[in-house]
Amino acid sequence: MGIPSAPLVTKAFKDLALLNAAKRGMPHERICFTPHPVWGKTPEEVRVYVEGPDPVTGKPFMREVVDALTVPLSEEDKKVGNLSVSVGPATFTDTADNLQEFYLNNGYTDFLPIIVPTEQRVDQMLKATSHHPDDVVGKMAAGAYPAWSYNVRQVAANAVMAGCRPEYFPIVLAIASSGMASLFSSTNSFAFAMVINGPIRDKLEFNYGIGALGPFAQPNATIGRAWTILSKNLGNGGIPGDTYLGSLGNNLNYNNVVIAEHEDASPWVPFHVQKGFKKEENVVSLFRGLGVVPGQVARGSSANENVQFDYQMSDLFSTFTGFFGALIIADPLVAARLKEQGYDTKEKLIDWLYKNTRQTVKDYKSRNYAYLFDYPRALRGDEPWATWYKLPDDAVIPHFPRASDFNIVVAGGQTNAYPQAGNLSYGVSVSVDKWT
Amino acid sequence: MSLLGMSPALLAGTATGAQEQKPHATSASSSSRDFVAGKITAVNPKGTPPPIQLIPMAPRLDTLDGKTVYLVDTGFHGSDVLLGQVQAWFNRNMPSVVTVFRRKAGPYMEDDPNLWKEIQAKGNAAIMAVGH
Repeated sequence: MGIPSAPLVTKAFKDLALLNAAKRGMPHERICFTPHPVWGKTPEEVRVYVEGPDPVTGKPFMREVVDALTVPLSEEDKKVGNLSVSVGPATFTDTADNLQEFYLNNGYTDFLPIIVPTEQRVDQMLKATSHHPDDVVGKMAAGAYPAWSYNVRQVAANAVMAGCRPEYFPIVLAIASSGMASLFSSTNSFAFAMVINGPIRDKLEFNYGIGALGPFAQPNATIGRAWTILSKNLGNGGIPGDTYLGSLGNNLNYNNVVIAEHEDASPWVPFHVQKGFKKEENVVSLFRGLGVVPGQVARGSSANENVQFDYQMSDLFSTFTGFFGALIIADPLVAARLKEQGYDTKEKLIDWLYKNTRQTVKDYKSRNYAYLFDYPRALRGDEPWATWYKLPDDAVIPHFPRASDFNIVVAGGQTNAYPQAGNLSYGVSVSVDKWT
Repeated sequence: MSLLGMSPALLAGTATGAQEQKPHATSASSSSRDFVAGKITAVNPKGTPPPIQLIPMAPRLDTLDGKTVYLVDTGFHGSDVLLGQVQAWFNRNMPSVVTVFRRKAGPYMEDDPNLWKEIQAKGNAAIMAVGH
């Protein structure tokens, strides 16, 4: 802005704030710290913070604030120019055991053993695409920092580490090209999912039957893992306290929710066709959100007759944050029953769910995401939030702002009839064929 | 902890036990290239970070007396309470400072160029609280 400023940050985010300032070109920015948290504290409690010491420097907090705005700049503070950043040499040479340890100790892995990406293995991976090893694949910013870029060779190294076979590589490239990281800096411990569509599901022997979401097939396991490993290495994500702040973390981050759609057993069009692709195209679609819940917990899930999956799903969504969408993963038995009940298209089911998944304004306003994201939008006049915030507390509104917040895929082995539902938003669909 | 996204070992220019080798520096076949004296060569999996462009800090004020200081709430939980207490502190201890409280428009992750223009035009300094 060209005028002096002083950011106030709680102590828990000291490293993040200092690194963020440095990476954005102001390594000497004068950041003032309060104890953590201020969230939930009374004005009287926060007054003690303001009149007390900065917990990082030990000096009076407000003295730090005034000094930040008035103490003259040093020569270092006025510096301009570019600083290059090195991530080390292009290759490392050592014994296999030492390299395994080296990759682990330097944060290149997910802390499970990896396949060491030897040049030979990376070369084999590179043969699975027509793209040149030096071709730029994309950019990714897993944290709150400027995005990193990467080429085909760098993606290949990560695919090897995750245990991918070379024939899986076009899918990994498609994921990397999206720029969407599977590790995110939010304190809210995000989860991520991918949906695989097209003939490649059978060609690579994805599991979309019994245990579709479990550890029962190599492409499901390793391609999902590759997304997290490449998010760490290519997007600089997953560094606790720096590019990752999730308080509890999320176990799904190990290999993400990988869903190969059971297209043959589905009564509806495949997901990628809904997104404008042809059925014979191979596509990976990416989602981001908070996690997945089982249909067994829904009200009505014990019914022995006249099972109403639409009501069950709607009930599952009642605890979901409307900031993210709803991804329904329907076992083929569930999908078939829904079709019998008249939902002969995904769109009909989505329309019902959108109109019948509702909440009172009072409940809505009490939710964290409403305060943090929707209320500021309402103040700005953005719809539908501006209208919702003007309604009385007992008014009833949709749980999700748009019908497009719902997505449906079919997967599973038909051993029982329950769906799962992810509080997950659709992000993007990417052609795999473009990366062969 | 890591610095700038890199391990301390790499920033120091040394790798634990591993030796730097330029990629494809030898003319040996892949198999012999990978197994020399019981050692193998592996590819660095890291992406390419952008250069850091240094931004000079804005000149500081001689004094806050009589100056207008904007207090900017980013919308995180507790930011408004914290800035309210900062405002009260100025009122009690430096009453000549004019403080202006503003909540940044939109969710915290969205920019608010109109507010920045207002502060540039009407303010002498800004304090921004991110709460949490």
